[in-house]
Amino acid sequence: MEPVLTARVGKPNSRSIETYLADGGYAALRKVLTGGWTPDRVTEEVKKSGLRGRGGAGFPAGVKWGFIPKDTKGKPIYLLCNADESEPGTFKDRLLMEQDPHQVIEGIIIASYAIKCRSAYLYIRGEFYDGARILNAAIEEAYAKGFLGEDILSSGFSLDLTVHRGAGAYICGEETGLIESLEGKRGQPRIKPPFPAVQGVFDCPTIVNNVETLACVVHIVNRGADWFAKIGRNEKNSGPKLYCLSGAVNRPGVYEAAMGLPLKDLIFGDAYGRGMKNGRKVKAVIPGGASANMLTAAEIEDCPLDFDGVAAKGSMLGSAAIIVINEDTCIVNAAQNLSKFFAHESCGQCTPCREGTPWLYKVLTRVEGGEGRPEDIDLLERICNQMANGMTICVFADAAIAPPLSSVQKFKDEYRFHVENKRCLVGPKALVAV
Amino acid sequence: MSRRAEGSGGRLSGAAPPKAPSGPAPPAPPPPAKSTFTVLFDGKAIEVPKHLNLIEAAKLAGVEIPHFCFHPRLSVVGQCRMCLVEIEGMPKIQAACTTPLKDGLSVRTTTDKVKNCRAATMEFLLINHPLDCPICDQAGECTLQDNSFGYGQQFSHYDERKRQYPTFDRAMIGPHVVADMTRCIQCTRCIRFCEEIAGTGELTFLDRGGRTLVWTHEGKPLANDWSGCAADVCPVGALTVREFRFRSRVWYLQKTPSVCPGCNIGCNISIESRENVVYRFLPRLNPEVNDYWLCDHGRFLSESLNLRDVEKATIRDGGKVGEAHVPAAVERIAAEIRATLEAKGPEALFFLGSAHLSNEENFLLRKLADHLGCANRDVFADRSRTRRIKSQTEWLSGEEAAANLRGARDMGATPGRGGFGLDALISGKALPEVIFVADANFSEIADDAEKVAALRRARFLAVAARTANALTRAADVVLPAASLPEKEGTFTNVQGRVQRFERAYLPKPPVRAHWELLLLLANALGFGDRNWTPSDLLARIAAEVQGYGQMDEGALAGGGLLKKGDFAWKGAP
Repeated sequence: MEPVLTARVGKPNSRSIETYLADGGYAALRKVLTGGWTPDRVTEEVKKSGLRGRGGAGFPAGVKWGFIPKDTKGKPIYLLCNADESEPGTFKDRLLMEQDPHQVIEGIIIASYAIKCRSAYLYIRGEFYDGARILNAAIEEAYAKGFLGEDILSSGFSLDLTVHRGAGAYICGEETGLIESLEGKRGQPRIKPPFPAVQGVFDCPTIVNNVETLACVVHIVNRGADWFAKIGRNEKNSGPKLYCLSGAVNRPGVYEAAMGLPLKDLIFGDAYGRGMKNGRKVKAVIPGGASANMLTAAEIEDCPLDFDGVAAKGSMLGSAAIIVINEDTCIVNAAQNLSKFFAHESCGQCTPCREGTPWLYKVLTRVEGGEGRPEDIDLLERICNQMANGMTICVFADAAIAPPLSSVQKFKDEYRFHVENKRCLVGPKALVAV
Repeated sequence: MSRRAEGSGGRLSGAAPPKAPSGPAPPAPPPPAKSTFTVLFDGKAIEVPKHLNLIEAAKLAGVEIPHFCFHPRLSVVGQCRMCLVEIEGMPKIQAACTTPLKDGLSVRTTTDKVKNCRAATMEFLLINHPLDCPICDQAGECTLQDNSFGYGQQFSHYDERKRQYPTFDRAMIGPHVVADMTRCIQCTRCIRFCEEIAGTGELTFLDRGGRTLVWTHEGKPLANDWSGCAADVCPVGALTVREFRFRSRVWYLQKTPSVCPGCNIGCNISIESRENVVYRFLPRLNPEVNDYWLCDHGRFLSESLNLRDVEKATIRDGGKVGEAHVPAAVERIAAEIRATLEAKGPEALFFLGSAHLSNEENFLLRKLADHLGCANRDVFADRSRTRRIKSQTEWLSGEEAAANLRGARDMGATPGRGGFGLDALISGKALPEVIFVADANFSEIADDAEKVAALRRARFLAVAARTANALTRAADVVLPAASLPEKEGTFTNVQGRVQRFERAYLPKPPVRAHWELLLLLANALGFGDRNWTPSDLLARIAAEVQGYGQMDEGALAGGGLLKKGDFAWKGAP
């Protein structure tokens, strides 16, 4: 597939508005604003394209826009671009923002037009200092060219776009956590309902969309919903998709492919990962960032990388961060590593998550350190099951249990070996006798 | 109910006493539109008011949903995850507090799933909570203890080190509140109280995840006027008040419904005492007066109720002060009054009531003066800094340093026709022969040497007193009088609400309640029945005093008892 979202990546001056305009940039915006498109037509087009949220949940973007109440009782509507890309293993939005910021900005403007938003925010994770700088420069260019500000392209539509830098919390990528943080409060998710589309930032109707989702909107308008819907395995999993490949492969990186790329192709294909480093075997793959269940080598044989394909394997596509773990990696060590992240990032408001995530980390540390007990394997499963499925306000806890629970269930023998022999089955610590 | 029409009904919890039925109740008019929802609790349908939270609705239905972070006056945060229930039609377990009420909602609270989930939350809460209840001051009124007993399990799978917060444990975070973050369960009630009720927002979450703790912003003190309430709403021993900490185990304390003596708002309190010592005040839930709250000024007056200087009656004879029996001392006063009455008539007498005394006592004093034909009587209260408390609907403020100025005036303890008052006495315009002060601690005036000297110009000065001051030292006869918890009566608050305070314990003889001393004196002067009690006097007040005819037992009793850390407590004091 010819690159769509990443068409300008790697080109000289890919960030500047001149390059973008020369490449046909802001044509979609012109089409919408001066071509007589109503906001509803944009929404319909996005609905028809089958575009699903690229942030992780895979919720249809057009349907989400349709949740804005028809009568907002005089309240303004806000669009928030979620650029708090913090899922371990994910680095696709960063690429889009740093290499082609105008594509993102154009998507934001079109989406704002569709939901009648007058003031949009881009919430970027604090560590993306370069991204924020690049975006701010691009926004200034867009203002100068009249794509942002009052009366854009003499259409009567006005929009202001503000970049807001986060302060470095994973949980602020959760949409209501992001909203709280943007309001200047402590970043902790809100109770839903009310959903943000009804009562979001500053208590006004709010749509939160991922960077990649908004970038896709540009191409849906440019080339039509049908074109978009035809890309991919089926209509429910359509469009071009950025995959973040990392781990023990020869060529990690961001790859654009049609939705539904077989996982094996991504790892072994010449255009993508080019196989495992040093010829090692695959032990496990995390298909959707740290929050997704691990897949075993057997499970990746016929796994199409789209929302429903990965879900059918009992995991999720999430942010399409494919982390490949090879046979030399101790699975307990991997789970311990990930659980440390979640213990660190829990916001601390709900009891099960606040207490459960450090507990998981402590138990995994004990097992990894050779002090595990036979009952610890059941204990890990028990703690995980006590934390998820409605036990907490947001799905952070559900994400936090994914690595330990799936690894315990799928690699129980390795855990048992660890407990019984007080050392790793594989990896550098495998031969260290305790 | 009370003299305010809106004083009747509308009470939130079942803890408040119901209206006393008087004969067959008139049929209630049909409501204009349905103001209730039908909610099923474990299959049992019940009508609940629409505005309630599911936890409150369950309480109405007699179904207990355990919880920590929910409080009826604070915003709903759904953080503790203890109130988990199953809702029909929802696959996942739900927090009751965040589930909106709607018609036909079907709630399951006893399924295995619910039990397991609650037990899971309890286990999570306890893994880092110290299990040293015997040395925790909250033990006995701890929601964590109660819920652990009711919904937890007897073992824990946790085998790691417990979390500790060095330097954040057992530290004063304000003039009254001691914080121990090791015991905190992060329910945020205290944070929300300071932000939403007090409006001062001193407290906040610091850090996150397993290291989350509640502390004050930048180390500024928790020093609002209601800081004790932040400890009140704490369901565990994380916030406790310095004044009460480790002074008594709570299960030894007897709860007596009373009214705060701090100002004229008349906050409903329970006096918590043990063996004739007051240990603390807690608010009683009265949505129309103080709701769940109590200001620090009132709360920490509790200590002062234990002060006692005057233990015996004393009579001064020629410069010498000697102890006497109370009846003998009363007879001495009566004799002086009789002699003056004969020699100079009632104009030479002066009776001073007190805004610290009950309606009954001021009423008795006024009736005695009337009996003697004396119009010279008065009542006085100091102005105080404005005290404020938030009822369910509005802020109330009190400007007086005594609880019952309004009641005392209503009882007629004010100068009668042709009589003079305290001003005339102090300025020297009036010079009575005999002065009787029903409460020697009626004002700061009583400790002001100049003003006491003005009173002392009378030939004979008699007072009833609990603590010593310039006035008692100057008096000819001092009668030992009871403190607030040692007697019963009613106060009339700033809203005109008549509220009863009950006796917690008997005074140590020969100390007697003011009304008993007044009745002794009245009897000696040929007025009244020696068998009168405060309730007889209240009946007479109802019959005689304008505006006091419509007193209702429910409103008199006031709010329901609370325990620290919980919001409605049904049970015997």
